[in-house]
Amino acid sequence: MSGINLKGKVYDIQGFSIQDGPGIRTTVFLKGCPLSCPWCHSPESQAFGSQLSWMSMRCIGIEQCGKCLNVCEKGAITPGEVTKKSGTDEDIQYVHINRKICDNCGSCTEVCYPGGLSMCGEEYTVNDLVDRVSKDTPFYEQSGGGVTISGGEALSQPQFVFEVLKSLKEIEIHTALDTTGFTDGKNIDAVLPYTDLFLYDLKHMDSVQHKQVVGVANEKILENAKRIAKAGGKIQVRIPVIPHFNDSQDNIRQTGEFCKSLGEAVVLVQLLPYHNLGITKYQRIFDDVKVLEAEPPSDEKIQKLKEILEDFGLTVTIH
Amino acid sequence: MYKLKPVPIKVLKMRDKYRNTIPKVCTSRLKIVTDFYQNNPNITGILKRAMVFKEIAEKTPILISEDEVVVGSMASTYRGSALFPENDITWMQADYDNGKLFNRELDPYIIDEEDWEYIKSVIPYWKKNSLSAMVDQYIPEGYFSAVGNQVTVYNSEGICAAPVGHFCSNYDKAIRKGFGAVKAEAQAKMAEMEGHMETDTIKQYNFYRSVVIVSDGMIVLSKRYAAEAARQAAECTNSERKAELEMMADSLNWIMENPARTFYEAIQVMFLYQIGMCLHNNMHGISFGRVDQYLGSFYEADLKAGRTTPEKAQEIFDLFALKVAEMNKIWFSGTTLTVTGYTVGQLMTLGGVDKENNDATNAVTYMMLQTAGRLILHDPPMALRINKNTPKELWEAALETTKICGGVPTFENDDVIIPALMKNGRMNLESARNYCLIGCVEPGGTGDEWPACGGSGGEAYWNMPMAIIHAINDGNNPMTDRYGNKSDKRTGAHTGYLYEMDTFDDVLEAVTTQYKYFLEWQMTMVNMFEVVAAEHMAQPLISCMMDGCMESGKDVMNGGAKNNSCGVPGVGIGNAIDCLAVIKYMVYDHKLCTAKELYEAVMNNWEGKEDLHQFILNKVPHYGNDNEYCDEWAKWLLNLFADIVSSFTNIRGCKFAPGLYPVATNVLWGLLTPATPDGRRKHEPLSDGISPVQQLDKNGPTALLKSLANIPQEKYSNGTLLNMKFHPTALSNETGMAKLEALMKTYFSMGGMEMQLNVVSGETLRKAQENPEEYKDLVVRVAGYSAYFVELFKNCQDDLIQRTELTL
Ligand code: SF4
Ligand code: SF4
Repeated sequence: MSGINLKGKVYDIQGFSIQDGPGIRTTVFLKGCPLSCPWCHSPESQAFGSQLSWMSMRCIGIEQCGKCLNVCEKGAITPGEVTKKSGTDEDIQYVHINRKICDNCGSCTEVCYPGGLSMCGEEYTVNDLVDRVSKDTPFYEQSGGGVTISGGEALSQPQFVFEVLKSLKEIEIHTALDTTGFTDGKNIDAVLPYTDLFLYDLKHMDSVQHKQVVGVANEKILENAKRIAKAGGKIQVRIPVIPHFNDSQDNIRQTGEFCKSLGEAVVLVQLLPYHNLGITKYQRIFDDVKVLEAEPPSDEKIQKLKEILEDFGLTVTIH
Repeated sequence: MYKLKPVPIKVLKMRDKYRNTIPKVCTSRLKIVTDFYQNNPNITGILKRAMVFKEIAEKTPILISEDEVVVGSMASTYRGSALFPENDITWMQADYDNGKLFNRELDPYIIDEEDWEYIKSVIPYWKKNSLSAMVDQYIPEGYFSAVGNQVTVYNSEGICAAPVGHFCSNYDKAIRKGFGAVKAEAQAKMAEMEGHMETDTIKQYNFYRSVVIVSDGMIVLSKRYAAEAARQAAECTNSERKAELEMMADSLNWIMENPARTFYEAIQVMFLYQIGMCLHNNMHGISFGRVDQYLGSFYEADLKAGRTTPEKAQEIFDLFALKVAEMNKIWFSGTTLTVTGYTVGQLMTLGGVDKENNDATNAVTYMMLQTAGRLILHDPPMALRINKNTPKELWEAALETTKICGGVPTFENDDVIIPALMKNGRMNLESARNYCLIGCVEPGGTGDEWPACGGSGGEAYWNMPMAIIHAINDGNNPMTDRYGNKSDKRTGAHTGYLYEMDTFDDVLEAVTTQYKYFLEWQMTMVNMFEVVAAEHMAQPLISCMMDGCMESGKDVMNGGAKNNSCGVPGVGIGNAIDCLAVIKYMVYDHKLCTAKELYEAVMNNWEGKEDLHQFILNKVPHYGNDNEYCDEWAKWLLNLFADIVSSFTNIRGCKFAPGLYPVATNVLWGLLTPATPDGRRKHEPLSDGISPVQQLDKNGPTALLKSLANIPQEKYSNGTLLNMKFHPTALSNETGMAKLEALMKTYFSMGGMEMQLNVVSGETLRKAQENPEEYKDLVVRVAGYSAYFVELFKNCQDDLIQRTELTL
């Protein structure tokens, strides 16, 4: 299959996304990622396949509904404990999903009208996706915005991403690609002509530590950054600031040096301080919370890191 | 970076006083008017109206409180409230009888026992002599069969308690010409006519005669204030205040009769004229118009001549705004369910374009925002006119202000409003370019139009989903009315039941029939009211300034103004649109249930039909998501409403003008509206303004705005209202603000007419609900107005918390 009928797996499309590049943007989140960052706030992004998500906020409980109980042939759904409905004093009995049994077939989501159960991961053809995101063109035009393709690691679906970016450029929409950089150089080469801006994660300059914590070494990542710079691409570097991992002044200094070595290509460096807001999202698709829990870095610390980077003549923002 | 300047102590003290004074009911006006009416049964019509004003001007208590520079009062005490028995006062007895008069939960008033004794003693007289009593006699017989429909709004007491309002007089003329000149003009016209009057000239003569009388009244009122200022000056030992009082006395002696000479005098004219109009009528959306345009040149001249400094002028504007904020009127306790915070809609407009279409921003534009921001003041409400050349700094100042003071200012789009005002023969280009906002969001002429929404300014809010209920229920209201009566007769047209309709076209036909039926009744009732009111409620004090009346010799109530209009606002459009989409989707397109099933589920308030209910809420397309399935019916329905309204003619010769805004009636109307096919349960609030149903817009602000821009807003020259709630984190930095600005600009470029913002988190609102003391100054936009959140009716608070919060 090729061209506009090619399919990709999307887990979210967010309009009025204003942190993922210039102007008002629509960000498309693709499923699947080869890295395993412990602080990841998008648990639904990691696996390549669709996953069942259950949101207590929208489930109306067994007494009012309970339809999903009768649908799961694997017996993965059973009555759960009686608790208080969030924000109220009312008792509610939710359902319990046994993740070990559930094979993410999705049958239960079809009967769940309130939207408690839903599948994370929906197939889109290039054509449908481009149609969907181009709906907001008036907003992109007014604000200098456009579309950001994010993940997961978007380039894990390289052909799909290539076709999407190409189609977007055909209709003159500004494109940004949010990537970990962990992909084959040829994938980068392919998308380069159709990507106005790379949002590029740099997590650690030391490859050993990089591998230890996120599961892959960083050589390929740094290599690809150079590749983009050499080809005249534009890069917005993003540094997640994670306590006890990459928040040392030393590492930030090295990162700054690397950015500087990329020359004109780096238009902006963003510091993204760790925060602990991802926990409830985990509960939607996993039994246990696997996300890193740590004290967010202090404002002073971040400020200091910002200054270090600025000393390299870089433009730095904090988000 | 936008900065608030420090507030002078004097202003702070005044603000504290405003926030901490519980208004007291004052019987002065009641006594003056009652005596006059009882002693002069021989004086009638327009002369009676003129003379009663002069009587008020001569006798109303003169009050100059400590530190006041801008003066004028409705009552004998600071923040006091006057009574208007000639409109209607029976509501007071009703409130007393149901125990609400002395213990209002919201917007409480102090009423002295002996004052109440007096009020009680005159109620029987007014029961037979007030406007509401007279209007009641004229209700067409046929209308009684429609009573209880809950679609149309008509009750004489409600309308007559505010029989005149929602307009903007020509303040600029009052400032620059004065009442002396108007009086001379009227006298000259009379001299010309004297002794040879035929047909209409007699009426014109009477009109001019009344103009002379009210002009004298305004001059007398000003001079009485001058005398009081002089008296206080003589007694004052503080030399600074003494000089100030002397300056005030000098100005008050001069203005009203003569053109204003300074920035201060121009403000004082505006305010005292406002007091005059309010003392004459009541207060209901009497809007100030383009305040920055009136004042800009005075400010510049004062600066140039060294008569003032930016700080001094700002202080005067602050004090002026606080005087406006102080004004209030007691009304039946039920109104606090829709509008609270003592607000009476004395809207001020800023920004916009001039005659030549150039941006008209001036220093006073910024001054106005500065006042709202640094005093965290929701009253007077402010509306900012946006055009393509609105300066960047003004955008910034306005967005920063709305962050501090929710919904102040509102943003109004010149590019849509100006052409809309020129449709249907409403006004010419020059007038349209000079438009202002009235009441809450209604575009209207600045000093040259009598727009009188609902005929009286008591808006004729029209319940859109309720008419659809009638359409699928053979013209019956399934619910008991607000008095607990279940109507046993058909209150609408005979259109059959949903389950008798074979196709969706049949449904549309039934809806069309009911819309036509109820809208025509609504406008008929407005016309009927206007005919009676014109006879008894002539407005020489407004007419003498309003463009067109002095030329035509006709009162505004008789169509004398240069331009005329009459608004009819629809409420609950989100629900109404979804009703159509749901019926079509479920019954006719996808046949997911039978018409009978859906009908019964709705009539039983979804009891036992939770599955169907959930499906409708979550699986059927809803308006506000950039979804063509719904947007098509949005267009259809809103064209239907607009076309019916704008084809009907008002007694003043103009066409009616459709609008889409609810103030906060969406909450109250919701309580009175049964379950609706869109999945709404009985009693739940209706959707707000042109917004989708609460929390059913799931695709974010861009999709929402595209849906809203798709409806024919250009046909709604009576105004549309969009309230958006943003989480503060979205707007915590400059980039966020720039993107918000771009969002609004895109909406405007796609045809959006108006937008107002709340930048507040649901969490903050919930906390404020729990600890009101700590959130005393939290201002939020409700719908048509802003208010201190903690002073709102609980259901309104909940409705605000419920609204979709746009975050990242
Ligand atoms: S079907 Fe959905 S709403 Fe119903 S009990 Fe299951 S999860 Fe909850
Ligand atoms: S996704 Fe399939 S296996 Fe998992 S709970 Fe639902 S029905 Fe059962």
